[in-house]
Amino acid sequence: MALLDVKNVKKIYTTRFGGSKVQALKDVSFSVEPQEYVAIMGESGSGKTTLLNILAALDKPTSGKVYLKGRDLSQVKEKEMAAFRRQNLGFVFQEFNLLDTFSVEDNIYLPLVLAGKKYEEMHKRLLPIAEHLGIMDILKKYPYEVSGGQKQRAAVARALIIKPQLILADEPTGALDSRASDELLNLFTQINQSGQTVLMVTHSVKAASSAKRVLFIKDGQVFHQIYRGCQTNEEMYQKITAALTVLTTGGELK
Amino acid sequence: MSKVFYFKLAFTNLKKNHKTYIPYLLTCIITIMMFYCLSAVSRNSGLDQMNGSESLKWILKYAVWTTGIFAVIFLFYTNSFLIRQRKKEFGVYQVLGMDKRNLIKMEICETVITTVIGLTVGLLLGMLFGKLMFLLLLKVVQFPVPLSYSVEPVALLQGTLLFLGIFAATLITNLFQVGRVKPVELLKGESIGEKEPKTKWLLVLVGIVTLAGGYYIALTTEEPLTAIPKFFIAVVLVIIGTYCMFVAGSVALLKTLKKKKKYYYKTRHFISVSGMIYRMKQNAVGLANICIMSTVVLVLITMTVSLYVGIDDVIATRYPTDFKTEIYMPEEGAKERADQIVKEEAKTADVIIKDLAEYTSGNLACMFDGGNEIVVDMTKVDENFSTLAEEYCQLILLPVSDYNELEGTDVTLSENQVMVFSSGSKPYTADTLKLGENMYEVKEKLDSMRIEEGTMSNVTGNIYVIMSEETQMDNLVRQYGIEGANALSYNIEFNLEGKKEAVSSAMKKMEGNISNQIGESARIEIREEHKADFLQIDGGFLFLGIFVGSLFLMATVLIIYYKQISEGYSDRDRYQIMQKVGMDKREVVRSIKSQVMTVFFLPLAAAVLHLGVAFKLMAKLLEIMYLTNVPLLALCTGATVLVFVVFYVLVFAVTSREYYKIVR
Repeated sequence: MALLDVKNVKKIYTTRFGGSKVQALKDVSFSVEPQEYVAIMGESGSGKTTLLNILAALDKPTSGKVYLKGRDLSQVKEKEMAAFRRQNLGFVFQEFNLLDTFSVEDNIYLPLVLAGKKYEEMHKRLLPIAEHLGIMDILKKYPYEVSGGQKQRAAVARALIIKPQLILADEPTGALDSRASDELLNLFTQINQSGQTVLMVTHSVKAASSAKRVLFIKDGQVFHQIYRGCQTNEEMYQKITAALTVLTTGGELK
Repeated sequence: MSKVFYFKLAFTNLKKNHKTYIPYLLTCIITIMMFYCLSAVSRNSGLDQMNGSESLKWILKYAVWTTGIFAVIFLFYTNSFLIRQRKKEFGVYQVLGMDKRNLIKMEICETVITTVIGLTVGLLLGMLFGKLMFLLLLKVVQFPVPLSYSVEPVALLQGTLLFLGIFAATLITNLFQVGRVKPVELLKGESIGEKEPKTKWLLVLVGIVTLAGGYYIALTTEEPLTAIPKFFIAVVLVIIGTYCMFVAGSVALLKTLKKKKKYYYKTRHFISVSGMIYRMKQNAVGLANICIMSTVVLVLITMTVSLYVGIDDVIATRYPTDFKTEIYMPEEGAKERADQIVKEEAKTADVIIKDLAEYTSGNLACMFDGGNEIVVDMTKVDENFSTLAEEYCQLILLPVSDYNELEGTDVTLSENQVMVFSSGSKPYTADTLKLGENMYEVKEKLDSMRIEEGTMSNVTGNIYVIMSEETQMDNLVRQYGIEGANALSYNIEFNLEGKKEAVSSAMKKMEGNISNQIGESARIEIREEHKADFLQIDGGFLFLGIFVGSLFLMATVLIIYYKQISEGYSDRDRYQIMQKVGMDKREVVRSIKSQVMTVFFLPLAAAVLHLGVAFKLMAKLLEIMYLTNVPLLALCTGATVLVFVVFYVLVFAVTSREYYKIVR
């Protein structure tokens, strides 16, 4: 069974006073298998962020369904939604979204504290993750005291500590320099290899080329997809660039 | 670049930052207005017509300077907050090619604009609004107040100078801040400002010591006369303590909580403790201001309301009987003549004399420390007695014959025997009494005396000494009394019962006849006539209390509003992140509510606590003004607190709506 199943999702935004309607997603269907590493690409305005918000249950589709491990997201009650998100989804954002009022350690604990976990358990969970991500020595520091790359690793730790079904990453390399980006993408690959499912939304070719599968969205539809197979990152890069060229020039793909 | 350019730039900057600058400007305007209003009232020529205006003027001056100090603290504090937020902007200007000279010029232009607007609008509103409020209050309070509100040039000048000084000082600190740092640092300025505050244990210690000291003084003061200087010492200590506890104490407490892992890592505590640390860092001074201002409002209004409501009590304490005459050094036959006048007039007016007390007395100032000596030789006082005010009291000598008449007893005293009654806080316990050079045996220590009942005894304390012969009293008074008060007096005190008009006309006639026939040596006090005076004085106090109180209240409201708005902007991002990480919307709202409530009700709670501790001191101060009715004071305190809390909650409700609008 697929971990994530997106079926004919459509999203139409209506301006507040019932004026013009904007179609953000026309008809999106795809599924993500456990332990996959999927990147979704598209230009700005193609509906990427809308899709991610729907997957994260932050937004509801106008029609269509999203199933996470067979559970229909639209059936999750409003009251349970926050808890549901907390238990199943880990988020990594472009702007890190760490709270300046907490130390790095406390930022990582945040979702667990919200879930009412005990300190001892949280600490036990943190240690291997922090070690793996190489952030042991910055745990006591505050977000404004560390670099962008370190912040993003802390954010990844925050996503991982809840042992999520799925990690949703929104332009995770968007605010990082190229070296920090490389490190982060390596990290994602490693996490994925250890069995974690990752779904990333990006418009960076480099970020996408680290994924096992790349979906392209254009005009609110899944337009094309590329499987890595046994290709290297560089080969993926070439393929993605080619696909994007077609995408932007408007030609047909064979 | 021309000067016009800088002004234009400065103007656009202010417009661009209007969300923070408009509240700042409003704060400046209100502070200036408040300062002017107070200063103008304290210079009011009508004050001189009120009895006790000296102390009132002094209190008002105190209030003016307190406001001035508040203005300095508060404007500095809001300004530093503003400039920190704008550091990034200055960094961008530098990156875009402005050098520091340009920036300084721009800053100066901005300050000139805010100063000009603040001062003109503030002073104009001070004149207009002050007048309006004055007239409005006059309408509301319904009693003649000999005060008028006019433009006071000195107050205008004083206000202008003070605030020019403050604005100049803030400008200089701003220039220092902007001029000293490099563009890169400026670009990061905002996030550096978010550093977690350090615990300042020294300040915590100072806070605890001063607060405890202030409370101790307030709770242990027994003597009303010493209450005045002690009150101000306590006020200063409590103000210092409040600032320290809000600034350092709160952070220390929160950080201690944070260290307790079991407590800290709970959903509710986790977010509120960490959030509160930052809130307290940014708001401590503002909250301390709110707390102190609230306390001032509460104390002021409670005391003035009590005085006004308790006016009958006041008069009854000050004038225990309807009519009293005291004939100093009565001539031969004067006593009998006065008695006769009183009885005749009462008869013709058809009113009945009640509670009549006629007695000869000798009054001396003395010092009494609870031992077996009453020091009447005031020239020797400094050597033996430490604090003047605490041990000062009034010595009243009575002949035993008059005592028997008054109390309906039949006591006989030999020449070296006396009876003693002390109505002050120190009872007389010794078996002997030393008065000047003479030693007496104390035959009886009395518990009460009729002429003492219901008087203002507790203020200074009266000591009555009953002696066998008038000649003994006369010798003592002659020897130790000061010039003009070194002879015995004859007193007639009584109440009258009958028709109201008849009573007052009878007293008028008695007064006229006694003054005519006995002359200047007869002093006459008619309670009814003094009531009007007291109404005016206490009404004036109430009026000023409400005026000053509402000024402070307005400032309080404004600070609360300003806090809510500026908090809202800084909290918005935090709560959005928390929602993304998996915090429920309801949890978010609940957490916001609890934090905002804590922040805004903390000062109120502290103010009420301060008021509670000050209660005893207030009671003592009011005793000096002849109000000894403690239950009444308690009632007034309760009512004032209630009204204030309602007001506070209302302001809070309105402003927190604004806050939620921003945060959501």
